[in-house]
Amino acid sequence: MSTANFLDQDFPDEEDDDFNPQPEIASDDEGDEKAVANGGDRNGSAQQSRSRSRVPDGDDDDVKDEVEAAVANDEAEEDADGEAEAPAGADEEGEDDEDDEDEEDEDEEDEGLPSRKRRRKQARRNQFIDVEAEVDEEEDEEPEEDDDMPGEEVHPDDLQELPPGADRDDRKHRELDRQRDARQQMDLEEEAARLKERYGRQNRAAGAGSAIVPQRLLLPTQDDPRIWRMRCKPGKEKEVILGLQLRTAERANSREPIRVLSAFERSKGASDPMAGMLYIEARRVDDVVAAMEGITNMFMSFKPFMVPVEEMPDLLKVTKDKQLEPGMYVRIKRGLYQGDLGQVDEVEANGAAVVVRLVPRLDYGLHEDVNAPTTVETLPNGQKRKRVMKVQGPRPPPRLFNESEAKKKHGRYLSKQGGLGNSSWLYQNKEYVDGYLLENFRSNALQTEDVNPTLEEVSRFASTGEDGGDNLDLRQLAATLKTASGNEFLPGDKVEIFRGEQKGVSGISVQVYAEVVKIKVDPGNGSLSGAVIEAPVKELRKLFRDGDHVKVIGGTSYREEVGMVVRTKGDSVTLLTDAEQKEITVFSKDLREATDSGGAAVDSKYDLFDLVQLDAATVGIVVRVDRESLRVLDQSGSARTLLPSNISNKIEKRRNAVATDRDGNEMKHDDMVKEFSGEQKTGRVLHLYRNFLFAQNRERVENTGVWVGRHSNVLVIAAKGGKTQGSGPDLTKMNPALKQNGGAAPMPPPQFRGRDRLIGKTVKIRTGPNKGMLGIVKDATAEEAKVELHAKNKIIPVKKDMLALVDPDTGKVVEGGLHALGMGRLPPAGGAGGMPGRTPAYAQGGRTPAYAMASGGRTPAYAAAGVGSGRTPTWKQDAGGRTPAYAGGQTAYGGGGYGGGTAYGGQTSYGGATSYGGASAWGGGGGQSTWNANSGGRTPAPAGSKTPAYAGGLEAPTPGFSAPTPGGYQDQPTPGGFRDTYKTPGSYQTPGGFPETPGPYSAETPGANDDGPRYD
Amino acid sequence: MFFVKTLEERLPLHPSYFGAQSQQYIIDQLYQRNEGKNTGTMMIIAIIDVLDVSEPKIMPGTGMAMYDISYRAIIWRPFRGEVVDGLVSSVVSGGFFVDVGGLSCFVSRQMIPAQLKYTVEGSTPSFTDNVDQTIERGTQVRLRIKGMRSEMGQMYAIGSIKEDYLGFVYTLWPNYWDLLTFDFRPLMQ
Repeated sequence: MSTANFLDQDFPDEEDDDFNPQPEIASDDEGDEKAVANGGDRNGSAQQSRSRSRVPDGDDDDVKDEVEAAVANDEAEEDADGEAEAPAGADEEGEDDEDDEDEEDEDEEDEGLPSRKRRRKQARRNQFIDVEAEVDEEEDEEPEEDDDMPGEEVHPDDLQELPPGADRDDRKHRELDRQRDARQQMDLEEEAARLKERYGRQNRAAGAGSAIVPQRLLLPTQDDPRIWRMRCKPGKEKEVILGLQLRTAERANSREPIRVLSAFERSKGASDPMAGMLYIEARRVDDVVAAMEGITNMFMSFKPFMVPVEEMPDLLKVTKDKQLEPGMYVRIKRGLYQGDLGQVDEVEANGAAVVVRLVPRLDYGLHEDVNAPTTVETLPNGQKRKRVMKVQGPRPPPRLFNESEAKKKHGRYLSKQGGLGNSSWLYQNKEYVDGYLLENFRSNALQTEDVNPTLEEVSRFASTGEDGGDNLDLRQLAATLKTASGNEFLPGDKVEIFRGEQKGVSGISVQVYAEVVKIKVDPGNGSLSGAVIEAPVKELRKLFRDGDHVKVIGGTSYREEVGMVVRTKGDSVTLLTDAEQKEITVFSKDLREATDSGGAAVDSKYDLFDLVQLDAATVGIVVRVDRESLRVLDQSGSARTLLPSNISNKIEKRRNAVATDRDGNEMKHDDMVKEFSGEQKTGRVLHLYRNFLFAQNRERVENTGVWVGRHSNVLVIAAKGGKTQGSGPDLTKMNPALKQNGGAAPMPPPQFRGRDRLIGKTVKIRTGPNKGMLGIVKDATAEEAKVELHAKNKIIPVKKDMLALVDPDTGKVVEGGLHALGMGRLPPAGGAGGMPGRTPAYAQGGRTPAYAMASGGRTPAYAAAGVGSGRTPTWKQDAGGRTPAYAGGQTAYGGGGYGGGTAYGGQTSYGGATSYGGASAWGGGGGQSTWNANSGGRTPAPAGSKTPAYAGGLEAPTPGFSAPTPGGYQDQPTPGGFRDTYKTPGSYQTPGGFPETPGPYSAETPGANDDGPRYD
Repeated sequence: MFFVKTLEERLPLHPSYFGAQSQQYIIDQLYQRNEGKNTGTMMIIAIIDVLDVSEPKIMPGTGMAMYDISYRAIIWRPFRGEVVDGLVSSVVSGGFFVDVGGLSCFVSRQMIPAQLKYTVEGSTPSFTDNVDQTIERGTQVRLRIKGMRSEMGQMYAIGSIKEDYLGFVYTLWPNYWDLLTFDFRPLMQ
């Protein structure tokens, strides 16, 4: 059956209320095509008979009609469904009646004999009439019922009696029925589509382009139903509306149906300003009042308020609620856990009740007092009640649930829950799973906005996922910190439009205002290239390309990480961090393009690779800086995460720290080193500390490539920069070739080692508050001396340069004595000492014997020197010169002892003088004592004083001699003066001095002899 | 990519070096300082010639002479998107490092074809498809530079081999690193 035909024949039917025979005929025409196959003869009569039978007003007398009507009624009684089922069940009818009849039906069809089936078919036809023309039904009902019953029972006879034409009629009806069946079975949707195809045209004017009707045309007008606002008890809005719904259903078919079109409420909780408001849509205010009257919790005293038309759309505007989702973080508003961070574990369907995971705060009965005082309270009803005073202990710190703690005192409150392998406990009627408390809260007891969990709090909930990584990041934090606003875009950001008409367009943001971003479109976007377009923030996301150097700015735990993008997939960007070569995935909104050289700029006190002191014995190197924590690799090689407050201080890097490696080679910062044993790690030295070194190798993953080793276990493989050290002279410094002394460092001023010679000496304070005081030096350092004052029993520290050496006997200040002492030399002979006798004594006292001795020992040398010749003149000279020498000698010596100093202590000798040691030898500690001895009387002096002088003299100078011999020594004698003096006393002393000397001398002789050859 | 580039350099000279050889000092210094230098964006491979050495100027206050030198040099500068060959210097679970001349390049796991799996056989970690491609330390690979970061005196890049014709490169010496690090000394004795 073609569509066109179907529609043609059927629809007029529906349009006309009256039964229209015309379409029937038409349908018959179609049926005829099949019928023709059976026999063309039948057509005409069939049409006639059917058309007749169909017309309700037709022959009332007609027996057939009566019978048919009766059957129809009968069937109508049997099947409540009536029409709907009847046509479909054409073949099944037999079953309803009797099983036997089925067989007969089949027979009929085969044989073409008149049968009960035919009658049934008529019944069908009758029924058809019956339904379509109800009017007849009532009239026929009663008489026909009578007829019906017998009719059915006696039907075989009737069937027999029926005229042959009826048979043909029946066939026709069956044809018709089949067609109707087929039609019924057609897919309703198809039918609807066809209807629409055919009649859709009529509606087109109204519904034209309904998809693109501008929103403003859909706004309510004055003609539309109005919305009234009613009031009810806050919090009961839903109940009221449900009550109204119930009432509407109840009264739907009554005389007073509820004439309310819709009702809704917009409150989000008791504290919401919309709480207690109901909105009812109706045509008239009376309808509203009638509908709401008597519903519990309604406040009918408030008159319904008609919402102005222009405000109606706002009432229905959807404001997206922040939905609680499992995994989100919330804060508890009240109770023991007030302010604590919790994680939503489960949300009940209506969102009102939430199961929150908390870190429990339990004291396990620690503050419970068994003997707590009880108060007896008289209840109003006369009963007495004991009440245990609740001791309010301090708020326990948050810690994970520990069942062994709980068992200690509260074993009776504890029971294990659940099956094997899960650590779920019930303790004091609260559930603890995996150490966390699961507690039910009403959603209004939770703070869901501005939760701002800190990393520390979040880390308590950080469940490590199957992959071992912390899974708290994206999903959970994003759920909590979801903030999509315009301020995540800044001018200059590369952005992409990811939905809407301009999807796929990329560009650079030029201007951002409110929720709109102006974009300068990148080239390569067709005709838009270079244009400046506007796009709402919602359709934008930041665009990053592989290799971009980015920084995490958003609120994930990866904040402040810097890295390079290795993959972008939709909204999430994977980047490889610079610091650790670790891959992290974050939302593109949390990223910004980083400046090229930007490191992790965290405002922490400690930077990456800082050396920090953890405790007195432990140092570590910072290998990762997070917002609130640091990861530190300590000297034993273990890494730990610390809070900055756990670190006592930072150890400044010593720029020129030097250490030696295993082979004794120099090792400095930034040198490449390699482990000698073990893993043979290589790395660049970051820090040298005690005998540890911290080195970094970027290619290692753990601890940002930093490792720790011992100096003795590494080898330097390349100095800093991998360059050979001797890369030519430094042209910005003095040309070494031009430097004197071959560029060797100038000799440092001599330093005296050992016990300070000043100690024990009498000194006078030259300046300062204690000026003029005398004292004895008790202790001395390079700069300072502790002086025990003679006047007071007090030891005071005095700068050395404020002191003057004093002759303890005379109380006179020895000029330059301090300096000389410092040099380890004898204090120069008293320039001040006007004592004539002393000069020679001094000179001799110290020296003569020594020299004399030396030469004395060296008899040949002496001989060579020409004892006779040499001495005699000297002697004479000396003798001759003596008288004047005293006068003049004074000059020569006093200034000159000094002057002699040129020769003696003179620079030359110094210059040559490797021989500082030598110098001391000369001066000999004994010099001083000689001095004393001299003044005291000679006899004892040489014996006592010289020996040490010599001892010292020989020990020390021995090396000295070897070196100076060529230079220093020769220099020394050169100035004639010295020889002279030397000789002079020699002669002078001969008489007195000799007897004394032998003792020491004999002892020293071998030593002197050793030196002998060199001396020569 | 390699370029011949004219560069300029300003070098100071201490007065103690003044003399007939001043210019020679300066030129020697130039070679020593700049050949092999990594400026952060490029690497100076060799100086071809010195084009000009300016008359020196004495700097007030220090007495140093300043020479402006212009010279031509062969430089190597990597570009984003460039395909380069390099030698794998180490393999870690997250990817591998490739030395491309003086440029250290990291190829992240995201940028390695999925069929190359990270495996550790014995102590040598490698990315291998267990057929014919094995990327381990010393393997020569061809990669595309995806991004670069340069600091003073240092270049750092990430690369990708997730493309046709990139990755393992067949060479005569499958493990060139062995050759580089081979100790010939025992043979020479």
